[in-house]
Amino acid sequence: MTATIGPVRADPYPWPYDGAAPVNRTALICVDWQTDFCGPGGYVDAMGYDIELTRAGLPATAKLLQHVRDLGMLVVHTREGHDPDLSDLPANKRWRSARIGAEIGGPGPCGRILIKGEPGWEIVPEVAPAPGEVIVDKPGKGAFYATNLDLVLRTHGITHLILTGITTDVCVHTTMREANDRGYECLILSDCTGATDPANHAAALHMVTMQGGVFGCVATSDDVIAATEG
Amino acid sequence: MPTVEADPGPFSFAPESTALLVIDMQRDFLLPGGFGESLGNDVAQLRCTIEPLTALLAAGRAAGLKIIHTREGHLPDLSDCPPAKLRRGPMIGKEGPFGRILIRGEYGHDIIDELRPEAGEPVVDKPGKGAFYATDLSKILDNDGIKSLIVTGVTTEVCVHTTVREANDRGYECLVIKDCVGSYFPEFQRVGLRMIAAQGGIFGWVADSPAVIAALQE
Repeated sequence: MTATIGPVRADPYPWPYDGAAPVNRTALICVDWQTDFCGPGGYVDAMGYDIELTRAGLPATAKLLQHVRDLGMLVVHTREGHDPDLSDLPANKRWRSARIGAEIGGPGPCGRILIKGEPGWEIVPEVAPAPGEVIVDKPGKGAFYATNLDLVLRTHGITHLILTGITTDVCVHTTMREANDRGYECLILSDCTGATDPANHAAALHMVTMQGGVFGCVATSDDVIAATEG
Repeated sequence: MPTVEADPGPFSFAPESTALLVIDMQRDFLLPGGFGESLGNDVAQLRCTIEPLTALLAAGRAAGLKIIHTREGHLPDLSDCPPAKLRRGPMIGKEGPFGRILIRGEYGHDIIDELRPEAGEPVVDKPGKGAFYATDLSKILDNDGIKSLIVTGVTTEVCVHTTVREANDRGYECLVIKDCVGSYFPEFQRVGLRMIAAQGGIFGWVADSPAVIAALQE
């Protein structure tokens, strides 16, 4: 018998909508846990932001990763980044990053900022991908646009997504919105996400829960672990 | 090139490569007695956008901007409504005061009279919150060489935000018009706009409609 997750104690309804998510139809999505965003010496750190805010979700995510790996759940990691020749970098994205002193492709504290293959672009060791886990490289904030994520999920028969990662209001939210429009039943975990601005973290979680769960539900990793059956 | 004072910095655009996007100004969301109000929402929070948006639309048409309207809705047999959406929105497809709720072809699904599309203006029907997913919006923009979007409509944190995020990842420059986007929830109007312009404009720019109208009329 297939293990299931749910109903998970969640806001605004017990997740998922259809009672329980079979583990073999559910994926854990780990969004952009990259050194440049949350690692000591990454560019967010170098810019003077408090990386404890973006690192806050790491311990809970590491624990949840172990839990879902033991269940055999599909795990997908995403990384935001661009090709070394910047051919997949929209001009306005480059311009805006330069304007705030962190030009994509320019020299950063951990190699060229947000360039594939550079140390700062790698996923931090606490939640590093295990062999065989899917890694999706994305040029934008959303993990569906210009990637094979939808194909990977549909090929695995995935219908339910559990989201962790950073930052809550930017890449995690954009990915959740894309997934929701595609019909995936989504759960975002408040203790496995984080943002450079705590108010934006809170507002982004609140937005999910409005209108009966306009983008899905919010829960904690302990709620997910507690709702695992079989 | 017209330039508008905006947050986090001035926004310049070439009118011939700019579209004015009017998102989901539908009767179901905006009319008193409609579906939006039936969920307990205060439609006045959205209706305050109608007057400034009417003026902006007129200025955009006069300046020759491409005007694109969107509508959220589903086929009458609901075959394009994901089960997860229908379960959370069980009223979709049910009879409402203005016809079946959020169903294409029904009176309530159409755009309010004040902002009725003119002949030749594309109306993009979308099954989701974002206007790019499962629609031909990208194609319409590419065919006309559009690079910049002036974004208006409802609601700020749901369909406007999702569409701006999609557009931003696709490389479009987005200017969101503060007084022409609306949310049922004032808190989300505030943080929704703040998130657009945060971190050097991570999703785009934010400005007022009078500034845009003045720039268009220069």
